Amino acid sequence: MSSMNRRSFVKVAGAAGAAALLAGCSGNGTQEPADDTQSDDATGEADYTLVKEGVLTNVAELGFSPFEYIDDEGNTVGFDVDLSNALAEKMGLTCEWLPNQAFDTLVPTIKQGGKADISIAGVTITDERLEDVDFTDPYLNSNQALIVAASSGYATDDLDAADVQIACQTGTTGDAWIQENLPNATRVPLADVTAGMMGVSTGSYQAMVIDLPVAQNMLAQSFSDLTILEEIPTGEQYGIAVSYDNPGLKDALNEALAAVEADGTMDELKQKWFGTTDI
Amino acid sequence: MQHRRGALLVALALALSGVFATVVPQPAQALTTEKATARPNEDGGDGVIGGMDTRLTWEGTVEPGEEVTSVTLTLPEGSTFEGSTTRITALEGLKRMDVTGEAVPSGSSITVSFDQAIPEGSLLRLEITNMQFPSAGGECTVTGTYEAAGATHELAPSDPISTIANTPLQSMVNWLDEQPWVEAWNSNQFLGMFLKPQLLLTSFASLAPGWLLCLGIVVAAYPFAIAIGLVFAMLKISRWRVVRAVAVTYINVLRGTPLFLQIYIMFFGLPMLNINIDNNLLGIIVVAINSSAYLAEIFRAGIQSIPQGQYEAASSLGMNYVQTMLTVILPQTVRRVIPTVTSDFITAFKDTSLLSSVGVMELMMFSKNLTTVTGNITPYVAAGIFYLIVTLPLIKVVSVIEENIARSERGAGPRPKRRAQIADNADELVGQAAKKDGVAAEVSAVAAPTASLAPASAKEVATDVC
Amino acid sequence: MSAKLRHRAPAIEVPPALPADEAARIAYEADQGLTSHAFTPGEHPIVRIEHLNKSFDETLVLKDVNLNVWPGEVVVVLGPSGSGKSTMLRCINLLERPSAGHILIEDEEITNKSTAEVNRLRRDVGMVFQQFNLFPHLTAKENVMIGQTKVLRRSREEAEAEALKQLAAVGLADRADFKPAQLSGGQQQRVAIARAVAMHPNVLLFDEPTSALDPELVRGVLDVMRDLAENSGMTMIVVTHEMGFARDVADRVVFMEEGVVVEQGRPEKVFDHPENARTAEFLGSIK
Repeated sequence: MSSMNRRSFVKVAGAAGAAALLAGCSGNGTQEPADDTQSDDATGEADYTLVKEGVLTNVAELGFSPFEYIDDEGNTVGFDVDLSNALAEKMGLTCEWLPNQAFDTLVPTIKQGGKADISIAGVTITDERLEDVDFTDPYLNSNQALIVAASSGYATDDLDAADVQIACQTGTTGDAWIQENLPNATRVPLADVTAGMMGVSTGSYQAMVIDLPVAQNMLAQSFSDLTILEEIPTGEQYGIAVSYDNPGLKDALNEALAAVEADGTMDELKQKWFGTTDI
Repeated sequence: MQHRRGALLVALALALSGVFATVVPQPAQALTTEKATARPNEDGGDGVIGGMDTRLTWEGTVEPGEEVTSVTLTLPEGSTFEGSTTRITALEGLKRMDVTGEAVPSGSSITVSFDQAIPEGSLLRLEITNMQFPSAGGECTVTGTYEAAGATHELAPSDPISTIANTPLQSMVNWLDEQPWVEAWNSNQFLGMFLKPQLLLTSFASLAPGWLLCLGIVVAAYPFAIAIGLVFAMLKISRWRVVRAVAVTYINVLRGTPLFLQIYIMFFGLPMLNINIDNNLLGIIVVAINSSAYLAEIFRAGIQSIPQGQYEAASSLGMNYVQTMLTVILPQTVRRVIPTVTSDFITAFKDTSLLSSVGVMELMMFSKNLTTVTGNITPYVAAGIFYLIVTLPLIKVVSVIEENIARSERGAGPRPKRRAQIADNADELVGQAAKKDGVAAEVSAVAAPTASLAPASAKEVATDVC
Repeated sequence: MSAKLRHRAPAIEVPPALPADEAARIAYEADQGLTSHAFTPGEHPIVRIEHLNKSFDETLVLKDVNLNVWPGEVVVVLGPSGSGKSTMLRCINLLERPSAGHILIEDEEITNKSTAEVNRLRRDVGMVFQQFNLFPHLTAKENVMIGQTKVLRRSREEAEAEALKQLAAVGLADRADFKPAQLSGGQQQRVAIARAVAMHPNVLLFDEPTSALDPELVRGVLDVMRDLAENSGMTMIVVTHEMGFARDVADRVVFMEEGVVVEQGRPEKVFDHPENARTAEFLGSIK
């Protein structure tokens, strides 16, 4: 049973790796153009530039379920996908996703500009990142999780040792957390979350630190042999990364975020993807 | 089930704090210091260097029945919070509370006052970015005060944070920082992004271990690759169909799948079979096996490029198959394949970069980490230079050997001890002979077939028949 | 190698090989007038070819070839390209496997031997190739030594002494340390001859030894072969187009065409009074 799950998950991960196509926001299926007056309004007031006219181009690492991942049919789906569709709708735009990119390249991509307008990819707002890119208002709170094999019997303190290898996704806040809080352990930054979980599952690595919602989702879906040893209260907040050169876009996104909060769409999406609005 | 585990742990730690010898019992306090850490700011290292911007993270728990309205953190003399930014996070369990406030630096202290009091049971985190520890380094304990219910109390001191004084490398970087030409250089977007002098310097220092590991892996793997490759080359030209099929399967599967995939299968597959090997050793094994398939093809093509006449000459002397192979065919094959094998070695060396995907701490891994930390491409350029240090001389070696072989096959090789009169038309004669031999060999599927592998003999059988 | 070339051609039925004494008696009778070689009564041919057939795929290139070669005899095989003469020569040391028929060396049937036995037999049958086939990674001396040390298990010193002796015999004592690529074609072929002779074979086969050489280099090689024929008493079977050599040196000339021995006899007989019209035409055209 668990192996079934894993197999199907591996397939998904493979698809994510292979997806080299521009993935439209197919998650919502047919999408009617936004309400006319509203879209006129939005575009009329819009004081921002887009890589592609009328399109909100998003770049993300597409192996971060349930935020953005490739489903069995090869569609890019997830909470962030639905949210960006909702935001685009409010702004009178459609939205497209660039092919999968490593997480640590997202901020530089936005900073350099020209390829993508935004990165909505479970990116935590940090002061370091703020030196390179701007962020919208936070749209979701998150924490970190320390994952080990259920059978390992580790305590957190056991892990701060040189012969312990702790996986993380390169450039994430989990990556930084290990450096600072388990300085003696050997940190193993990987491009792919699944690779890290597989590694912990097979014993290549002893632990992994990754965003709590992702850990909960993937453990429930595929890695029943892993367990969350510690939920690390970081209280970090996801924001949408935008270039400093495009302040109008940030304002428009903030406006759209507020609208999505106000009309209940946000709660709807949280309910859909996390089974609770209390997150 | 895991819900609120963090909070539980905190409570547990508090309850048991008296039991553990390592935890010094604290007088009852309204705000208990949990921890204080600093982000490593050594370029390419993991030390916390004084006198340079870093981030201090301090955490404390507000005890039941208390509310905290402001916190002042104090570091040893010489630290500074000037120009820092502060991020305030308050959590109840995992649940974030909306807290705003204001941070006012004052020398080696910073006072953070909150717009709303932090309620009881909360975890309070202060992340102060772009502050500096004393340049002399040393153990830095965070002390300070907090205000609760209008009264000021002392904070329990944190565990010390180890900081170090500036390293020579870091001093050079700092020196570069001050140079006007460096600033001008870096102001060019391209140069600053790809060839930032400061980063180039630190990259070279911190990438060196990764570079050595790359070299170590490929140098350790290659003798095995050659041995295994030779075995499979011989199997592939065996006269037994089953043996050939085994060799063909091995070679084609390995050549027909990405190394990346092979790495994944080995790294995640073997442990599933309860085979647990050290990562670096596993890297050596993967590189050896992968290269062996390419080398098998190179050797096979090399062996088959030896003219049929060589086998016949050996046979006519009465040599058996093993003698023919060992004394006649393989010695010639070795000379012919050296350039291609060297090319494959170069490829294998570069391919070690793929091992970073599974956490082998090789060159790309180090540069990726550096790039992540700095948001700059220069570490990759430095990695490129490291690769070139190995590959450029080898590329040169390949071309020199190829030239030598071409020359010796044309018949103008180096002269032995004595100079001798040689028929002027010797070159031409050998050339003619070669032409008569000249049916193109089955050109190997090797990535970089060299000229030396191409000519091979026609089956001389045909000469008299047709 | 030979295994690869094996094929499925229609089986050719040939009678079994004759008993040795009977064959020797018949051959003695038959060859008296065909060769200028001096016989000893009771002697047996060193090479006996009976009903030899060879086909490649569907093409029959040797058709019922019969030939005897006597110890110390020099036989030159002539014929147009494609006449099967090289194939016949290559059958004698089993570089080609006969399709049918018998080849006997010193009355020992060689066509039905295992690989190991074939290797043993080849020690006693030397071969000189059109393309020399020297081992390019070895010096002239090492080329001459390698068969001696690896196959005959002679000591290095012994092999080296023999190699220098044979290289001197072909006039290349001063080229002993040269690699083949540093030698002219003629020199290479002389090294190849030294390599074959150093094995002290019973029979030495020459497969168009001068065809790949420029005209001015042919003489040196022929001189070596002539010396070998006249002074060593070596049994030689030579496939060549060199008419002068055939006329001067051969004990017997064999003319082949389209896989058949058309005519054989003493050189003066075949050259001056050919019985067969095709022989006459060929010799006329080649002169």
